[in-house]
Amino acid sequence: MNKLMRNLFIFLLIIVFIMAFSSSYLSLSMDNLAYALVIGIDKGKDNNLEVSFQFSTASKSTESGSTEKTPTVMDTVTAPSLSTAVNLMDSYMGKELNLSHCKVIIFSEELAEEGISEEIYTLINDTQIRPSANIVVSKCDAKFYMEQTSPELENLISKYYEIFTNSSKYTGFKPDATIGDFFNSIICKTCEPVAILGGISSEKPENQGNNHIQENYNVKSNQTPIEGENGSENIGIAAFKDDKLVGELCALETTAYLAIRNEVNRFLVSIPDPDDSNSYIDIYLSPNGSTSVDVDTATSSPYIKLKAKFVGRIYSMTNNSQYLSPETLETLSLTCNKYLESVFSDYLYKTSKEFRSDINGFGKYALGNFFTSQDYDHYKWSDNYRNAFFQVDIDTSIKSSMLITET
Amino acid sequence: MTKSKIGTTEAIMLVLTIIITHTISSLPREILVSTKSATIINLIFVSILAILFSYLIVKLMKNFGGSDIIDISEYLGGKVFKNIIGIIFILYFLVSSSILLRNFCESLRIIHYPMTNIVFILSLFILALCAANRLDFNASLKTNLLIVPLVLASIVFLFFANMNKFVPQRAFPIFGDGLFQTFILGLGNLSAFGGITFLYFLPPYLKEPEKMKKIAFVSIGLSAIYLILCVSTLLFMFSFFINTNEITPLYNATRYIEFGSFFQRLESIFLLIWILAFACYISITSKFAMGIFKKLTNIESKKPLIDIFGLLMLGISLIPKNYAISDKFETEIYPHLVLGITFALGICILLLANFMKRKQKLIANSH
Repeated sequence: MNKLMRNLFIFLLIIVFIMAFSSSYLSLSMDNLAYALVIGIDKGKDNNLEVSFQFSTASKSTESGSTEKTPTVMDTVTAPSLSTAVNLMDSYMGKELNLSHCKVIIFSEELAEEGISEEIYTLINDTQIRPSANIVVSKCDAKFYMEQTSPELENLISKYYEIFTNSSKYTGFKPDATIGDFFNSIICKTCEPVAILGGISSEKPENQGNNHIQENYNVKSNQTPIEGENGSENIGIAAFKDDKLVGELCALETTAYLAIRNEVNRFLVSIPDPDDSNSYIDIYLSPNGSTSVDVDTATSSPYIKLKAKFVGRIYSMTNNSQYLSPETLETLSLTCNKYLESVFSDYLYKTSKEFRSDINGFGKYALGNFFTSQDYDHYKWSDNYRNAFFQVDIDTSIKSSMLITET
Repeated sequence: MTKSKIGTTEAIMLVLTIIITHTISSLPREILVSTKSATIINLIFVSILAILFSYLIVKLMKNFGGSDIIDISEYLGGKVFKNIIGIIFILYFLVSSSILLRNFCESLRIIHYPMTNIVFILSLFILALCAANRLDFNASLKTNLLIVPLVLASIVFLFFANMNKFVPQRAFPIFGDGLFQTFILGLGNLSAFGGITFLYFLPPYLKEPEKMKKIAFVSIGLSAIYLILCVSTLLFMFSFFINTNEITPLYNATRYIEFGSFFQRLESIFLLIWILAFACYISITSKFAMGIFKKLTNIESKKPLIDIFGLLMLGISLIPKNYAISDKFETEIYPHLVLGITFALGICILLLANFMKRKQKLIANSH
């Protein structure tokens, strides 16, 4: 009898727990969820937000067995806040919106200029959003950017969004800016946030037709000479001060940003040919160790010394190239040093004087100069960064060209 | 009898259990908030103090052979005093573990079970407690022996897997909010070493009581290394724990672990390991609370107490109306309880008992 009662009790207990946990299980069941891959946030009318969600639908297989490009669905809702937008979307779709597979969050430039901290805090507060989701600031409406995005080489848009920042490691043209880092930087007293600068490639750049090779590195999203099936492009950085967009960086400046932060594996630069002022030589550079930064805070004008080492290989080749001579390589190395020092300095002064935003996070190197947090706070790093002076030392060692050394 | 005795390694893991569970909850965040960038220096400082305290405890308890603090209290102040001290420790074990369990279950609910009533999540742990305590005395300690190293390994993994996101400069300014905040007010972080409480109760259970010193040193040393690893991970990774209150800070760090696009979302594995650690923790604290109760009441067996203590813990954990109240207890009241009961009351009892013993010896020698 005792045993029977015990078994009955255990059985009842199991039933009770199944019932108690089934509601959570059902709410997380795939059948009841709609996974948003991208969120686009635009400024709507009357202080409202226009929030667009992009979903992926099931792919179709053709008779030949090949898989077609997975179609996407996009819905837009106007609401006073992001959470209300999600709620309205739940009701519209008849499924619960789930953001655990959201890869990208796009803000329109207009909204970013006004400040996006409210949206960032709301998204970070959501358990579903991954800290690795990328942040894009679109030069056009976020909704339009999403509509224009059509990956050429991927059938799944989610796959495209998962890998689209990979090229930052070998081009240095865009940062791998994530919401986790963005949130960290908003709160951080030693750095400022950045986002990927997005745009559409349908607008022709003003300087099209100018074949000056340097122009290709001074481009940013909305200005590139690219034409293709994918209407969107992501080149450059959207720089923030606190939560407000304060400026944009072009491709070359983005490379400088990533090189200073040791976030690029290799990149291509075009340096002036020492023998011919009208031509340029393309060089593949790789960082040779970490960039060293020293910050002097003796006065209210921080003095920031930066040393970076690179090794390079000559990439461009003409029919009269002589790249096997040590003198030539030495001359090229010196030219490259001079060129990079100028690029890095221009970029750094732009962040300091124009943006007044320490997006490089130099503040962290200044921390060691103070004994207490109060000393650091009194120094007002964020305000004093605008008075900063920079000294950039670049040490490039060009080793050789690639397969062909002389023509 | 040997079945109810515990080995040296089991005892070390037992002491570690407390710090592990508190670290999974909000302890690292509280330490970071109080000492900011000077947290690592402060932890080294309080770890040395904790080792000195544990040395003092072992030294003072040595004079009482295999007695625990309850027996020593009886020696010092008779039965009434023994009962008072016993009740204080029972309440301390039950309340601290119940509220900590509530906090952890609230986090679990937010992360994984948004639609489930908190009572059911808590009940699962209470059921585990009741089942474990029905088994042999050593059952939960042996399970703990497996789980604690797993948690330690997971924290080491968490540290190394996130290393590429570290900003070591966050350890500066070296003195955080100043020397006074770091070394005087920062003494409050001694409460992180709440595991020392078990040292008061271990002697009667040890297979080799002479290894008490080793147990104390190794367990406090490991606790210190573990705590420094946890806090360093958060300090070097995030700038926001100093300003922003986030539930289960370590869980937040686990979400950043990614190895390519294949190994992602490893946080569920961490949560599973931590759930096991919590189940072990509450079964051990309740076991010790029942042990004290048995000693106070002279009952023959602990078995009838298991369900009562389980239900008591469930009841206590349901007292806080919301997470804000239970979090307030854990972050503001619990540290004072540790400092008051473990470091002040416990050591005072031992000092007075030793003083009394010496006095009695002197009187005996003079006669």
